[in-house]
Amino acid sequence: MAETKISPYSLPDLKNTTDDALGNYLRGIGFKQDNTKTDVKLVVGYTAVAIAGATFVADYKLGWEATKGWTAVAVAAYAILNGFFTYWLWFVEKGLVFEGSKDGKRVSIQSKTNKHDPTYYLDVTTSSSSSTPSTRQIKTPFTTWFTADGYFVAKPFQQWIASSIEAVGDVDQKSALRDERDELAAPGPQTKLTASASLGETQDVAETTSKSSKKAKKRG
Amino acid sequence: MLSAIAGLQPRQLAAQVLNFALVLSTAFMLWKGLSVATDSSSPIVVVLSGSMEPAFQRGDLLFLWNRGAETQVGEVVVYNVRGKDIPIVHRVIRKFGGGSAPLQLLTKGDNNAADDTELYARGQNFLDREKDVVGSVLGYVPFVGYVTILLSEYPWLKTAMLGFMALTVVLQRE
Repeated sequence: MAETKISPYSLPDLKNTTDDALGNYLRGIGFKQDNTKTDVKLVVGYTAVAIAGATFVADYKLGWEATKGWTAVAVAAYAILNGFFTYWLWFVEKGLVFEGSKDGKRVSIQSKTNKHDPTYYLDVTTSSSSSTPSTRQIKTPFTTWFTADGYFVAKPFQQWIASSIEAVGDVDQKSALRDERDELAAPGPQTKLTASASLGETQDVAETTSKSSKKAKKRG
Repeated sequence: MLSAIAGLQPRQLAAQVLNFALVLSTAFMLWKGLSVATDSSSPIVVVLSGSMEPAFQRGDLLFLWNRGAETQVGEVVVYNVRGKDIPIVHRVIRKFGGGSAPLQLLTKGDNNAADDTELYARGQNFLDREKDVVGSVLGYVPFVGYVTILLSEYPWLKTAMLGFMALTVVLQRE
């Protein structure tokens, strides 16, 4: 799938291809997918469709007069189910791409794009048995992993995911880039040391510039 | 394009099919909901003939209401002739009965020379309000219904339109 050529100017194509790749990648490195939310959606949706289908058959075979009362009930039930379906889609799933866990660490990822903006936004919620769930938004332009003629390149994409989501980086360590992982890590003793040593401002600036230039080299 | 569909996860495929099924079923249930609200088997009809000109022209879209069975003289009703399934839109010019007795109506097209006794089934001289009438006209939108007249008069248009719609649904994701 990832090898298929897409139109790099079509935002839905970019998003759908990336969504599919994200699921494949996480399943590939051993995350066990949890499909509960999708299953709820499918059951509710297909129940609604079944009700509409039954109403159609009853109407076709028995006519309006005989089915009036039941049609009213069916319409009410359909409206409720469809309302719940819409609520689930907008407020619970909210563009859910992957939900799963590995080694007790749970990851839930929702994706979205904004109109006329070729940037991939991910809302990542991570949790484990010991910590409370925390949500973070990460974003990167699609050009990072799409070639100009519309081919998806897995490596930079996987590096981005592994570097910016800790739970994934722990599993797929060879994809996780060291310097970005450092930025992610909680302030450790080293940071405290630099702070307590009260380094001059100039030195601080020099350090950040060297860091960013290193990153730029790696990207290029 | 088909390879893109074949590459989907089973659940993704099920969701894709569901999206299409929901579009159809929602349209159908909206229609049925309107039927329930108006208590009419066919709450929206299209005028097919010029027999009610100048009030209604061919192609006008009529909205019907079938609650409150005390139909008055001067109201425009839609009825089905017994044994035929073509709805006719004409005005009530006489009424008999009502109250506890079954309400009986005689209708006539504004643009016709004579009343409708000729149109009714053999041996029928009046309409039964309960059995024959689909509803009274509540409001109308001029000309919009002409699309359905075109579709029924040129059946190939229907085929072309359905084919086009099916193609877009299959080829489009999102």
